[in-house]
Formats: sequence, C-alpha cells, structure tokens
Amino acid sequence: MKAARLPVLLLGLVILAAIVGPMLLPWRHDAIDWNAVRVPPGSPGHPLGTDMVGRDLLARSLAGTRITLLVAAAAAGVSLLIGVAWGAVAGWKGGRIDEAMMRIVDGLYALPFMFVVILLMVLFGRSILLVFLGIGAVEWLTMARVVRGQVLALRERPFVLAAEAAGARAPAIMIGHILPNLAGIAIAYLLLTIPQVVMIESFLSFLGLGVQEPLTSLGILVKEGADDMDVAPHALLLPGGILVTILICLTLIGEDLRDRLA
Amino acid sequence: MRALILRRLLTALPTLLAVVILSFLLMKVAPGGPFDSERALDPATEAALARAYGLDLPLHEQVWRYLLRVAQGDFGPSLVYRDFTVTDLVAQGLPVSLTLGALALVAALAIGIGAGLFAAARAGRPVDHAIMLAMTLLTALPSFVTGPVLALVFALWLGWLPVSGWGDGRPAFLVLPVIALALPVAGAIAKLTRAGLATALAQDHVRTARARGLSPLRVLVRHALRPALVPVASYLGPAAAGLLTGAVVIETVFALPGLGGYFVQGALNRDYPLVLAVVILYAALILLFNLIADLAYGWLDPRIRG
Amino acid sequence: MSAVYAVAGLEVHAGDRAIVRGVDFAIAAGECVALVGASGSGKSQTCLAPFGLSPLRAMGSARLCGEELVGADEARLRRLRAAHTGFVFQQPLTALTPHLRIGRQLDEAWRQAGAPRPDRRDLVALMARVGLDRGDEWLDQYPHRLSGGQRQRVMIAAAIAHGPRLLVADEPTTALDAGLRRDVMALIARLRREEGLALLLVSHDLPAVAEHADRVVVLEEGHVAEAGDAARIFAEPRADYTRALIAASPRLTDPPPDLPLAGGTLLEARGVAVSFPRPGWRRGRIAAVAGVSIGLGRGEGLAIVGGSGSGKSTLGRAIARIGPADAGAVRWQGRDLPPRKAMRPGDRRLIQPVFQDPVASLDPQWRVADIIAEPLRHLRPGLDAAARDEAVARAIAEVELEPAIARRRPATLSGGQAQRVAIARALVAEPEMLLLDEATSALDVLVAGRVLDLLARLQRARGLAILFISHDLAVARRLCGRIAVMDGGRIVEEGDMEAVIRTPCHPVTRALVAASA
Repeated sequence: MKAARLPVLLLGLVILAAIVGPMLLPWRHDAIDWNAVRVPPGSPGHPLGTDMVGRDLLARSLAGTRITLLVAAAAAGVSLLIGVAWGAVAGWKGGRIDEAMMRIVDGLYALPFMFVVILLMVLFGRSILLVFLGIGAVEWLTMARVVRGQVLALRERPFVLAAEAAGARAPAIMIGHILPNLAGIAIAYLLLTIPQVVMIESFLSFLGLGVQEPLTSLGILVKEGADDMDVAPHALLLPGGILVTILICLTLIGEDLRDRLA
Repeated sequence: MRALILRRLLTALPTLLAVVILSFLLMKVAPGGPFDSERALDPATEAALARAYGLDLPLHEQVWRYLLRVAQGDFGPSLVYRDFTVTDLVAQGLPVSLTLGALALVAALAIGIGAGLFAAARAGRPVDHAIMLAMTLLTALPSFVTGPVLALVFALWLGWLPVSGWGDGRPAFLVLPVIALALPVAGAIAKLTRAGLATALAQDHVRTARARGLSPLRVLVRHALRPALVPVASYLGPAAAGLLTGAVVIETVFALPGLGGYFVQGALNRDYPLVLAVVILYAALILLFNLIADLAYGWLDPRIRG
Repeated sequence: MSAVYAVAGLEVHAGDRAIVRGVDFAIAAGECVALVGASGSGKSQTCLAPFGLSPLRAMGSARLCGEELVGADEARLRRLRAAHTGFVFQQPLTALTPHLRIGRQLDEAWRQAGAPRPDRRDLVALMARVGLDRGDEWLDQYPHRLSGGQRQRVMIAAAIAHGPRLLVADEPTTALDAGLRRDVMALIARLRREEGLALLLVSHDLPAVAEHADRVVVLEEGHVAEAGDAARIFAEPRADYTRALIAASPRLTDPPPDLPLAGGTLLEARGVAVSFPRPGWRRGRIAAVAGVSIGLGRGEGLAIVGGSGSGKSTLGRAIARIGPADAGAVRWQGRDLPPRKAMRPGDRRLIQPVFQDPVASLDPQWRVADIIAEPLRHLRPGLDAAARDEAVARAIAEVELEPAIARRRPATLSGGQAQRVAIARALVAEPEMLLLDEATSALDVLVAGRVLDLLARLQRARGLAILFISHDLAVARRLCGRIAVMDGGRIVEEGDMEAVIRTPCHPVTRALVAASA
C-alpha cells in the first residue's frame, strides 16, 4: 500500500482539478483573449499564460484532461466488458470453443492496432464516439487472455470441484467462486488498460486524427505546444506534464495492484 | 517446434488475408470512400481506380483481383500524392522508417536487457529499486511527449544536436529520434528481463549452479539469463508494433521523410490506397516479428523444441 | 579419525531470530549422518545454510576439511564448495539447467575444482559410474529428454564429477516415483563406499535413513530432539518426538489395522472410461481411464493405488461425477447415478470429496463457516440460518477444531486445519461415501498421521465407505481392506489388501510394496 499512496493522491488531484477547475476559471478553454496572445506564465489573469491565439493555457489543459480521462474511462469500460465476457466464456467452456476463441485473440494481437483504429477513422470519419469505441474494441485482448487464464485455472481448483459436489450449479459457481476470485486481477488489468487507452487517444489527437476542435484533449495540446515550443516551451511542458503524470500514476497503481494479487 | 511455427503460420496467413479482405470491403462500404460515386474525383483518377479494381466486376472478382495485385506489391495510385503510385511512396519512405525502427529496436534491447541484468545483479538493493522505478516511468512516457521535449532540451536549449530533418541519414540527425522511440520499449524490456531473472534465479537449477561454486556473474549469464529472456522474446511482436506506431509520430515530430509522414497525410486526406498499403505492410512486419519470436523461444528453452 | 565435515553449536538465523539452534555432528570419510524431522523442523536449512546456499545466516561453527564455513566471505565459500562438496537436490526435474546439454553441465561440474577439461570418454565413464550406460548418446541431450530417475543419476554424476570429499543429499528421492527410490539410494550408498565420501543426508523417508545412515540427528522445530547411533534410535527411540515420527510413517511391516466390516454393495462402477483431447490442434484423444470396473460395499475402504499419471484421480472424479466421463455406468444401491450435468441434490449428497491440496480446496474469499455451510445451502435449501449454524458447529467439533475457527479465512489456517475444514464440509452433507484423493499426501508426516486417525474414527463412527486414492500403499492400508492397483488407465491387480501385500503379482504392485516396506 505504501508504494501506491503517492500516485493515488496525485491522480486524485488531477481528476479533481479536471472536474472542478473549469467551473472556477474565468476563461473557457476556447475563449480568445485578444489582449493576451502568447503571454508567458505569471501574466495577470492568465496564471499559466496563453497560447499563440490567446487562449488560456490552464483552462485548455484542464478541459483537455477532462476529455482525455472521459475517453479513457469509456474505452476502458468497453474493453473490460468485452474482455471479461470473452475470456470467461472461453475459459469456462474450454475445449474446441476455447481453442477457437483464443486463436481469434492471437490473430487480432498480431494486428497493428493503432493503424487499424486510424483506418477506421479514415473510413468512417473522425468522431469522439468512434475514438473510444475503436480503442475499446482493440484493447480488450489482454484482458480476455488474463481472464481466460484465471477462469481456466479456477475451474480446476479443488474448491470449485467441491462446490460442484456440494450441489452448486454453474451459475452459482460462477457468481460465488469464479467472479470473486477474478475481480482483483481484472481491476488491476483495467487500471493498466487505462494508460494504454490514454496513450492511444493522445496519440491519435496529436496526429489530428482523434478528438476534433472545438473539443480539445491533452494530445492536441501537446501537438500545439510542440509546434510552438521554440517561443513558448510552457505550452508543451504543461499539458505534456499532466499527461505524463496521469500515465505514470495509473501505471504504478495498476502494477502495484497486479503484483499484490498475482 | 516445427509444429509451433506451422501453427503460427496457420494463424498468421489467414490473419493477413482477413486484414486485406476486410479492409477492402470496408473501403467499399465506407461513405465518402474512394469508390463512392458521389465523391468528386478528377476523371483521370476515377478511371485509374476503375481500371485498377475492376469496379464493374462482381464483388468476389474484385476482391480476388485486389489480392492478386497486393501479392504483386501493386497498391494502386495515391490519391494525395498525384503522379505517384503507392508503391513508389512506400519505396521512398520505408527505408527511412526501417532504419529508424531497427536502430531503436537494437537500442531498446541493449538498454533494456542491460538495465535488467544490472538491476538483477544488485537484487534487493536501492540501485535495483531505483532502476526499476525509472524503467516503469519510461514505459509510461509517450514518445510524442519525449520527442518534442528531447528536441527542446538537447537541440533548442543546449544546441548539441539538430532539431529535425533527415540529413541524409547522418548519425547526429538520428540520435534524438532513435532515443525517443526506443525509451518506452527499453523500459518494457528491462522490466521483463528483471522479472524473468527474478524467476530464473529462484529456480532449482540456479541453486545447483551456485552449489558448484561458480561466480555470481557466470551463474547469472550462463544459467539464468536464457530462460529469463523468454518473456522478452514473446514481447518482440508487440515491441515491433510499438516501434512502428511510435515511428509515425516521431517522423512527424522530427520531420523525417519516412513512411509514417506519408501515412499521416494519407489518413488526414483520406488517401485510402496509401493507408491500406501501410496497414497491410505493417501487419505483415509484425507477423514476421512474431515468427522470429517463435524461433527465439526454441533457442532460449529447448523444452519448447520438444 | 578426523572429520570431513564437523558442525558444533550450529544455529541458523532468519533476520535476528534463530530458527535452528544447538546442532552438533561430525561426519568422517565413508560415514553417513542423516538429518530427519517433520517439514518445518529446519533440517534443510541446517544442511544448506553453512554453505551459503540459503538466504538464511549460519552461526556457531561448521568446519569443512578443517576450514571454517561460518563467517567466511562469499568468495571463500564458493571456493570451498567448488573444491570439496557435491550436492544432490530434491527435484531432478528442475535441478538441471534446461537450456544446457547434459555434457556441458557435467563438463562444468568436472572442472569446478580446477581440473583440466575432460574429454568425451571421461564423461561417458562418469555416466557409466552412476549406471547410465547410454552416456555417449545422452551427453548431447537436453535434460528434459531424460526421465526423472535418469536425471537424478545425472545430478549425482555432476555432484561427484570433481572428486568431492563431502556429498550433501537434500531429500534426494522424495520427488521420485516409489520404484526408483531404492535404486537411487543404493547408488548413493555404493558411491559412498567406492569413493570414501562423507554423506550428509536430509530425508523424511525413515526406512531409507534406517538402512543407510550411521548416525541420525532428529530435529524438532529447530532444536535437536535426539541424536545418536541410527540402529539405536530406530530400535529404542528416547524422545517422544522421535517415537511420534516413527509411528507416523506407516510401514507395511506394521500389524494390519483393525478395520470395520464391509456391508452390502453400495456402489458399482462398470466400464468407466475417460479420455482427454490431445493438446493443440492434433487430432485424437488420450485415454486416461480405459474401461475400469470397481465395486464398494457399505462402510468399506477401497484403495486405488498407482503412480503419477496412472489415471487414479481421473477415475475417482468420474465416479463421484465431478469430472468428465466418456463411458461406463455407476450404480448406487442398484440405481444408476445420472451423468455429471444431471446430478440432483439428492444424488450429490451421497459422495463427497476431499482433495490433496488443503489450501486450494477452500475458496480464499470465503469464511470457514460459509465454506462448511456450502453443501447445506444447495442440498438442503429449506434449512434456516440457525439450523445451518448448528450443523456447521457440529461438523467443526467432529473434526476436532476450535469453534472460533468458523470466523477465519483460509489464508490464516495451517495445512492440517485447512484439511479438517475440507473434511467438515464433506461431513455436513451427510454423505455415505468419501472420495479421498491423496487427502493426506500434501500434509506434514505428523499432521498427516493425525488426519488419518481422524478419518479412521469417522469411517467407523459414521459407517462411511471410502474410496482412497493414493500413491502410498502403507498410508492407504490404514483405512482400506481392499486394493486396486492402477497403471496406464487400467486396473492391473485387485484384491484383499493383506493378500496383495504378501504376494504382489504385477511388477507395478511389487515396486509399490517394495517402496513402503
């Protein structure tokens, strides 16, 4: 528990700021202040400065964080649902069904995900809904593998056989024995999926293929900052810093949880 | 072992085939797609497309013709880069991307396995924890953040290295892109190596080797390292995918004339033949890396050879 | 005569806590000293810690060929190990490096004390000395190609390759199948004679110790319960602990136990067959049980005995309808038991299982009370909470546990406690037959002895029929008057327990009898 306390705290702060922050700030993330174009941090009214067209960086960063986290949570949810369902069915049914389902997962694993998501974007137009559906639909594979492995192992555990001998039927065994013993590891991998999803979303947005204006996300802000970094490095460092903080915290929490459950 | 490789091939080839066919069909049904007759294209391109894909033929004929063309390396004309075929663009960009990717893979393996070994040799000491924490942080750093930040610090502020460009492949121009690309993969490899070594060092055969009075280094390298690298081998496929993906963004950040740049422009401008070609090509590359990983298993652990 | 290895006032510390203290013994060339004790008694640590092969720290004195090991730095320990000692460990399957050929590993062992590189003939001769006559072929093989017994011989060859003066054998036969144990111990004894090796043997196989050791040190929870001449200790043990230890490892030479009389036929299985699909994409199935028929009377104990992979567990599960079955019928008092998926609560009640691994037998998320109550909830759903609690409390008392255990979780239980909870869960269903699948083999000897006693009492008090699946004949004999020996999915010999022990016919049976003699 000790190791993960700081990341939990930091992540909590970032989430809180992303939710509450935009309500407290005088500037909207897309409002342009013509009197303060590209001002440095510490300027009056813009504590962290503005970008090249005079939009408040703090407001933009918080709004971007909000979208990034939203997409991440939704996409991770999609991946959790598909992954647990797929893995649990494969592991429980076993035999040929398991074999076939896992071959499909193996096959999908061998695809360049990012490119497939981009292909989908190109074909069906860019929309935020498609962003998280697309990401969720490709990020469930690891979850499915982990869940399937656990179910397969649990199914042969003596306590499950004893439950069968005790008269418990499949649904009762699933709910009473399999799922509770699965929950911890599934949550750990959910936490490890979220940074992956955040990374993909930011990556797509960085390339201009993800979240579209007027919405903003951390990926878009990093891209804008990188384009302008020779004159306003803080425009790169602020959203980049928030993004990296989120990724690192989630990774540390997830790994800590996984290591304690594995 | 042969059965394993055969099985992989039996999975890989249908996967690739499915990718090609599905992408082609998706392209057919996509609104505003290249074959959408309401889309305004100049007549020359339209005619070229119709010729290339036999749009008047029945669907399965079209798919078959497309497969044949892909098998011959013909991906049709590019919609964005007029006067170029997709194959021309790939021939221009791929060498740059492959150079970048290969260097980054070598760097990631060297840094990752090195750091993992170094940490394992000092297991349980503060150095071990510090290195592994640093490696965890590396895995969480996206290359599109580290790339610009590295450029900002080492090129703009310190002026040690060029900010961007290819410079005809001169080493100075490659240092920052390769590092930015390699770091997250290096972090992942280091963690896998360290975890693998921890498992291997706890095994009975390592105690046997220690009982023989061998030096700790010899025990580590000769008796523990090879089994410890099995997880690293299985990571080769995902690592290749990560590097190819990362290369897209790194090429954008550092203005390198690789395939990634064309790909992004193609994606933004809905250049279907180009995007499709890159997806198929990269899928094939990743499948190839999975096969290499399978061969590596056999060397690392003879029990897999059977 | 000066000792090759002498230990005086030896202590082993984990952190600042002594887990072993006050151990003294000395081994001269050609002698064998054995460390015995239950698991957790510290015998392996006593053996390994002075050589720096355990994370724990040794204190006191341990002198190898006159040089002090305790307090020596890592480099010096390495040199002393390389020069004077050979080690044989428990697990032949994992104790050899999987990715190095046998020849490379023997070569490494040969040169560990500084000898020049051996040529191929040297290594072939070395393998011949440990009874491996196809050495020339096997030198180029990886360890996984060899059987467990062959690997243990390779392990012994590596341990003596450099001409050590002390051989340390830590449970050298524990992981081997019964038939191989005597051969491997005989090999070690022959090498000891031929080479004049001092042998430090750690074992819980008391018959083997009695046969081979000159002196014995009995360890009880980290201190010496008794030490002295081996013949004297086995003939007239002085410490209670030693007597308990000897009594807890049943032997076939013990008088036959007094078993309850068998009643009329309870269960009859005919032509039970189970097969599993071959792994991977290969076609076909592997037959695990090939058409087995057995019968069991009311209150009778039947032992199904066989080596690993003989199909005995699969057979037991198929009969109890908690595992797959391809063919065959199971009749219960003249009525067919339905197949696995169609078992009704009334059918489930009849046969209750207890498994080998006590920890894996209990859902780690559940409390003991809920675990024991599980059969009641499914088999007697009409029972109210108070009646259920009462039944659970009765079952806890019946397996001789404290009532307070009901609130605990499995992770906090010892192996013996966990196994008693598993037995209590089986009992609340009020079964007429128990399926005991290696139910005592994962437990420590002393604990296993007490659990066996409990099972014997329950068998008599409740008139329980018992299907006892085991690899150990002497243990099975405590509860069973009849025996069926399995090999390769078939029953190869069947009959009255005492008769089979007296005149075993099939080679598998003879090996099992020899192993428990």
